[in-house]
Amino acid sequence: MNMLRIVVFGVVALAQLAVPAAMVWQRQQTLNHGRVWKFRTAPVDPVDVIRGRYIALRFAAEEFTAPSKFEAADNSVYAVLKEDTDGFAEIDHLTTEALRTNDAVPVESVWWYNGKQQVRFPFNKFWVAEANAAAAEHAYVENNRRDNQNAYVTVRVQRGDAALDQLYIDGQPLGDYLRAHSLR
Amino acid sequence: MAGVRNRRAIRWLRFQLPELVANGVITSDTARAIDHHYEQDQPRSNFAFVVLAAIGSALVAAGIVLLIAHNWDELSRAMRTAIAFLPLLIAQALVVFTLMRRNESQPWCEAAAIFDVAAVGTAISLISQTYQLQGTFADFMRTWLLLSIAIVYLLRTTLGAIAYVIGSVLWLFARWGFLSSPGNTMLFWVLLMLVIPHVVIRFRRDRDSRETATLVIILALAALFGVGATAEFADANVGVIAYAGLSTAIYLCGMKLFPQPAGRLHPLAVLGGIAIGVVAIVLSFESSWHMTYHVTSVPRNWSTNVAVAVELLFPVAAVCLASVDLLRRRAEFSLSAALLPVVAAVAWVIANMCRFPNERFQSTRCSFAAATVLNCYALWLGIDILARGIRTNSIARANFGLLLIAALAICRFFDSDLSFVTRGIGFIIVGLGFLVANVLLFKRRTAS
Repeated sequence: MNMLRIVVFGVVALAQLAVPAAMVWQRQQTLNHGRVWKFRTAPVDPVDVIRGRYIALRFAAEEFTAPSKFEAADNSVYAVLKEDTDGFAEIDHLTTEALRTNDAVPVESVWWYNGKQQVRFPFNKFWVAEANAAAAEHAYVENNRRDNQNAYVTVRVQRGDAALDQLYIDGQPLGDYLRAHSLR
Repeated sequence: MAGVRNRRAIRWLRFQLPELVANGVITSDTARAIDHHYEQDQPRSNFAFVVLAAIGSALVAAGIVLLIAHNWDELSRAMRTAIAFLPLLIAQALVVFTLMRRNESQPWCEAAAIFDVAAVGTAISLISQTYQLQGTFADFMRTWLLLSIAIVYLLRTTLGAIAYVIGSVLWLFARWGFLSSPGNTMLFWVLLMLVIPHVVIRFRRDRDSRETATLVIILALAALFGVGATAEFADANVGVIAYAGLSTAIYLCGMKLFPQPAGRLHPLAVLGGIAIGVVAIVLSFESSWHMTYHVTSVPRNWSTNVAVAVELLFPVAAVCLASVDLLRRRAEFSLSAALLPVVAAVAWVIANMCRFPNERFQSTRCSFAAATVLNCYALWLGIDILARGIRTNSIARANFGLLLIAALAICRFFDSDLSFVTRGIGFIIVGLGFLVANVLLFKRRTAS
């Protein structure tokens, strides 16, 4: 009876290890082999930036001009990406077809208002360590104002899986930026 | 002497032994033999020690995380990943050790279980942070709960089961969406069903223990939250009947499954009784019976239909539980309390007889009639509980009945257009009722 319990726990322990391991595996594959897209962040309301230990991200590409609402009914929606002249990602078009390519990402919600189609990308939280949260918030807000738009994120996309890679402030990864500015 | 033993009864019996010997009912040898017999039956482990062991292991797990979180940013992704798995591997080794060497020790089992469950949560959140994994808090809780439930069974941990039920409620709150449109919360019932076999095992093994009582009460409270979320998701106007059914089912389960010495009630029955009182008062407001017109116009899908079925399951279960005892003429519960789902169903039918108005807040003749039915019922319930309290010489019960009548009176005084004089007289009557009933009860007690 006890042996049986140990065997069953063996299976449970494997599952407990497999779930986070699978998360790591899939993300690592996308980070290693996915196509890099740069997303310019959009100006944010400062009170909305830090929630707990992540920076809530908004992107300029999440809103684009469209003559009419994109009708998706209850289907999942994917955004097909293209690069603008500055090399930043923008949405080419929306589709309900499950594209498993390196230039399509799933989107969470879709709405249309006043000639603008709006979407939410699923990569909208950038986790930061608790010790850095306040400094990260300050840096992000300072470099993400309408008069000082100086932040973007890199996202790796592979077969429809979008992995948020890094948040760049003033051309540097967030960690490097914070280190450089704390030394001054 | 297999099966369940009533610890409270044993304690009472051992306490009575000197008196029985003094009165010559039993010999001192018999008393010693009885005392010796039940001495061995006392629980070996102390619940407080078990709780402390579990808290201790949770603190150790949290400490490990804090230690490695120090300088977290300086570490590479691979290093952080390795560290994320470390507490989990240690916890799993501890579980294996407990299963092999300390299987009979409840503190070991509880501590190992809490450590393992905490380590699973830690691993997932550290990986999520390291790899910038997105997803909602509800997704995280669901994965965590599903990876932890087996531990409850393997280590037979009641604290773990309680933590699991609380975790399920957290998932429910995260999924509920108070501000946006209500999310599909039907998985909550699946999560809750997964822990039911453990509750049954505990019930069979140790029905009268504090752990079992705590577990069933937490489960009942969780179900109360679940019905709220389900009613909102189903959007079918039957939430009132569901709440009436669930509170009655809790009360009847408390009465039937946990029989107590005469005059006493199990905490589960007390919780059910209070829930019945609260639901009766809430349903006595006319606004509870404003039926929304859009329910009939919104297209329904299978998940909302399942939600309606779940809602209706509780009143059906309550009526079945009550009917079985009534048919066998073995009903020990209060009939007035057990009738709540039936009364609510009748009022629901009345409320639905008028055409739905376009405004949710608009009254109809039918909603007024339904509320009147519930007002009469709540008054009857209060009087019946008061009478039962006086009959059984129970001050708590009598006062609960009075409280119900007073609450009903206060609610009606504030939401109806009565003059100040009428309200004043009403309050005086209710207040006098409290005083007279209590004086009578105390006199009776002193006399007996």
